[in-house]
Parts: sequence; C-alpha cells; structure tokens
Amino acid sequence: MTPALAVHDLRLLIGGAAVVDGVGFAVAPGEVMALVGESGCGKSLTAHAIMRLLPDAVRQDRGYVALDGDNLSVLSERQMRLVRGRRMSMIFQEPQAALDPLSTVGAQVAEGTGSPLRQARAAVLAMLDEVGIADPARRIDQYPFELSGGMCQRVMIASALIARPAVLIADEPTTALDVTIQAQILDLLRRLAIERGTAIVLITHDMGVVADIADRVAVMYAGRIAETGDTAAIFARPRHPYTALLLAALPRRTDVPRSRLAVIEGRVPAPSEFPTGCRFAGRCPLADARCRAETPLLREVARGHLSACWHAEAVR
Amino acid sequence: MSGAPALRVTDLAVHYPARNGPPVRAVDGISFALEAHETLGLVGESGCGKSTVARAIVGLQTVTHGSVMVDGTEIVGAGRAALRAARAGMQMVFQDPVTSLNPRMTVGAAVGEPLLVRGLARGAALRERVALLLTECGLRPEDAARYPHQFSGGQRQRIVIARALALRPALLVCDEPVSALDVSVRAQILNLLVDLQRAHGMACLFVSHDLAVVRHVCDRVAVMYLGHLAELAPRDALFSAPRHPYTRALLAAVPEPDPVAQRAKPRVPLVGEIPSPARMPSGCRFHTRCPMAQPVCRETEPAWREVGASMVACHFPNE
Repeated sequence: MTPALAVHDLRLLIGGAAVVDGVGFAVAPGEVMALVGESGCGKSLTAHAIMRLLPDAVRQDRGYVALDGDNLSVLSERQMRLVRGRRMSMIFQEPQAALDPLSTVGAQVAEGTGSPLRQARAAVLAMLDEVGIADPARRIDQYPFELSGGMCQRVMIASALIARPAVLIADEPTTALDVTIQAQILDLLRRLAIERGTAIVLITHDMGVVADIADRVAVMYAGRIAETGDTAAIFARPRHPYTALLLAALPRRTDVPRSRLAVIEGRVPAPSEFPTGCRFAGRCPLADARCRAETPLLREVARGHLSACWHAEAVR
Repeated sequence: MSGAPALRVTDLAVHYPARNGPPVRAVDGISFALEAHETLGLVGESGCGKSTVARAIVGLQTVTHGSVMVDGTEIVGAGRAALRAARAGMQMVFQDPVTSLNPRMTVGAAVGEPLLVRGLARGAALRERVALLLTECGLRPEDAARYPHQFSGGQRQRIVIARALALRPALLVCDEPVSALDVSVRAQILNLLVDLQRAHGMACLFVSHDLAVVRHVCDRVAVMYLGHLAELAPRDALFSAPRHPYTRALLAAVPEPDPVAQRAKPRVPLVGEIPSPARMPSGCRFHTRCPMAQPVCRETEPAWREVGASMVACHFPNE
C-alpha cells in the first residue's frame, strides 16, 4: 500500500550546518506518527519542510516529500497552494495566534472548502460539531477572542480537516493547553485518525503524549533520527542511548519520590559545532572512537525497530 | 522564630476590580501552613490562581484580605521596612530564567547582589561567598565573570537559584521553576532542588501544573480550582487515593510516559472548560464540570473539611 505520506532523506541547511540531516519516514492512512525530541532537534523544521513552509533562512538541498505517492518537490508554489489545506493540513501550538482575529470562526473554517460561508454553512456546522464544539450555531459567528484556547484549537482542527485532507501535521497541538483540555484534544485526534483514516504526524516534546496517542515514533536528536519504531517497542526497550536516558530523566508515578533522575551530561551541540560521527557521542556513556569518527546510519535492530547507534545492542 | 510555621496563609483573597460587574475573584479565601524542611506543591490549571498565591506570599501582589505569616511575620499590610526585613527570609524562583536575570549584570554581580545590598559581605569575602554558591548550584567559580546570555536555559536557572539561596532563606517560593526547560535539563534542576533542600532544610512552596514533577519533589500537595483549594493532602494520599473529583480528573488527564499503563487507564475526560473567575458558578465552583454533581452542589458551597489524612472541599468526597 502507498503510504499517505513519505519523507525521503530530507536535509535542511542553515548557513552551512545541516540542522535536519537524512530524515525519512512514512505514515500510513489512519496512523499517528510522533516526531519527538528536545528543543532544536529539528522536529518542527521537518514539519514545516513537509508543508513547504520553511523560513527563508532554511534551505532544503536534499530529499523529497511524497503525498500519496506524488512527489511534492516538482510542484510549483501555485500548485502547492492547492495541496495545502486540501490534501494536507497543519495545525500549530498557539491556536489564538494561528487564527485570524478579524475573521469569524465560520469564515475561517469555510476557507478550506473553497466556497463562501453562505454556501458552506451546513458543512461548517457539521465540522464544528464533529470536533466537539458545543453550540456550533452560536460559535460559528463568533470571533477567536470570544473563545478559550481549547476551543480555538478545535476551530483550527476543524478548518484543517474540513476539506478531508489525507494528512494532518500537528505541531505541538496541546503544548499551550491545560491537561484536562489536552486530554480532550488528544481524544479528538485519535478519533479522527480512526474514523476518517487521516494520517497524523504529531510533533511533540512530551513522552506522555507520545505514549498516549502515537502508533509509531521517531526520536530526533540534533537534526537526525536517533531511533524509530512502534511506540510500545521503543518505550519497552529503547535501542538508542539518547532515548534510554530521556525516558530515565522523567519523574514517574512508580518512582521513589526525590530519587535521583537520570541526567544527560553536557548540552546539545549548536549546529555550527556538530561533530563528525554520531552527534550524540559527546554526551553518550557508550561512545567510543568509532562513534566519534563514523556516522551511524539507521539500521534494523528488531522487526520494524531502527536505531542509529553503533552500540544499539548494548543499550540498557 | 521558634514554634511558628515557616509559612501560614489564612483566608487569603486577591480580587481584581472589573470595569463592569463584580470583581474577578482570582484567589478567594485559601488557608494552609508550611513547616520548615517541608515542600508543598500547589497545582492547578491556568487561571486557577496558583501564581497569584505565590506572588501574594512574597509581597509582590496586593492582597484583598487575609493573612500571610512568613516565619511569624505578617506580610499583608507590612510597611516597606518590615517587608524588606521579611524578604531576607523568603526568595522566589520564576519560570523564565531569561527574564529573571539582568542581561547587563555579570553572574557574580547578580548572585552577590543580595549579600551586597544587605551589607553582609563585600570585596574578597563576597567573591568567596559567590564562588561557593555557584559551586553549590553546579556552576564553576569562573562563571561569575560571565554574562547570562553566555549560558543555556538550564544553567541560567541554576544562576537564579544560586541568587535565591544567597541569603539562606527559610522559605523558597518556586513558580513553575522547570516548566520552560527540556526534559534532560529539567531532571538536572530537579535533582539540584532536592539536594539543596536536603542540605539547607528550607521550606519550599512549589507551584506547578506538572503533577509528575510535583509528586517527585513534594511532601504535601494542594490542588487549586478557580481560586479555591479543592484538596490538600500528603503526597501518597493524594496520588493513590484522591478524594476530590477534580483531583481524580486531573490525575487521569496527565498522560503517563508508558504506553501500556497509559492506554489501560480508564478515560474520564472532564467535559467543558474552566469557567471565568468573573462569573463564578454558584455552590461548588467545580459543579459545572463535575461528573458526580448533585443538586446540593449547585446550591451550597462545600465546607473545607478533614477526610482521613486529607483536607477536601466536596459534598461527596471519596471516603
């Protein structure tokens, strides 16, 4: 089966530094794929590259994105505009900032249909109802400032999905929301993936969100995928030292309170200082001479589970 | 002062006047006490009033009524001199270490400033104290000569903590101290806070929206909803036997970083949104979202009462 979305060997440069390097993955219809990592790992740039919405300072010099088998890199900007919002949509972290403050909820959601609100009103009302907005007949004529953050996020999801795109890119969609509202939005995304078969790429820094909703996950570090596979497998037995440490650094319900949390020594190198070889080597307890000299490529270490580590078998 | 708790908050209220209509009751009559050596977590969602409580305690917020006693000294209505004296015993750490530090001041000057302005140390003695504080917070003595922008977010939060500890406060108020930090850095700062409290035994009020972090560092936890305390309980009681339906919903909503446990969890999503504190619901303020609400909950505000080891404001707590 053709994946809904496939990213091939993506490389993004800022100046001379490859801030995203060799990133590739595929997402099937109805599947939720999480890109997880800490600030600066390249997860959000990857999302913007998929939409072809990169800032001017970032240049893509390698790789391509295929939507349902169609290579998007050959499309003109005009053709790409017909793809965005119709076949592939994106939602953002700050729903209030992403919505137009001067336009009503209904007008913004109707935009995705290509028809004015007068004609699309019934479809917009149905969509608002589907994303769980109570009293859509009243909300449709309100402005974003009259809505809470959680409700604005529902409006953004409604406007992203009204044209029934095959792919939804969700960039930290719940980071600005409270936990009880986050739980509602995650339930909504899960339901949309199952019921509509939307393929979702979820960008997040929160391992709890990944555990809740992702079918598969790619853990990113310093612009590269460190490890990728089924969510259950990666949490049960991480095969990259970075993932293992990241998971051990989280306080958990089952821990002894005030016990020592694992720390990752040092800090993420700046793009201008990316080392040759493995970019995690400088902070890695398993690193040896080979790690500092040769870049480890992703390789299969268990069925469907890939790790970019020379010592994947030794990770505890 | 002996005998007095490190912090006693009694019937604290902060109301903001509204242009039209009744005042916004951001904090609406809450009481708790904090002993020396103890860490109390204050949790709740945005707008519940938890940060306002923190600011009121350190005297950065005008209080409508109620009392805040820090180490036996009243903060509410205290004059400048009294407040200045009391502030030596309490310090605050904020969420954003970038805006908490003066970009034009060296790290050494920032950390040493509390000692200098209070005339406690100067010259070589001051430099020595600063070096000690930096070392204690995981930085190097040489870092005193550098500027905040030369440090990462986690290191800047270490600088802020070093400055807060300079006067050896009896009370440390931390408002979301690790919320702006990445996971791996957050673990470093949490380890540091745990170590420092072990070493110095100050009381700590830890304001956070992150329940996993609160469970990790706190002895007791207070849960706020719309300006009121819903529940206050020892850590283990709160996490293993939450008595207030809001506490239960909050705990259920936090996604666990464990796919097996997380997906097996019963889903009890709270419906609806937090009401505006300008239009406070009648009776129990949680009744509009409560899955257990009865007619009495709409009419009568529940009393703050003891149930087992916990204090709870609910007509139908889990007993």
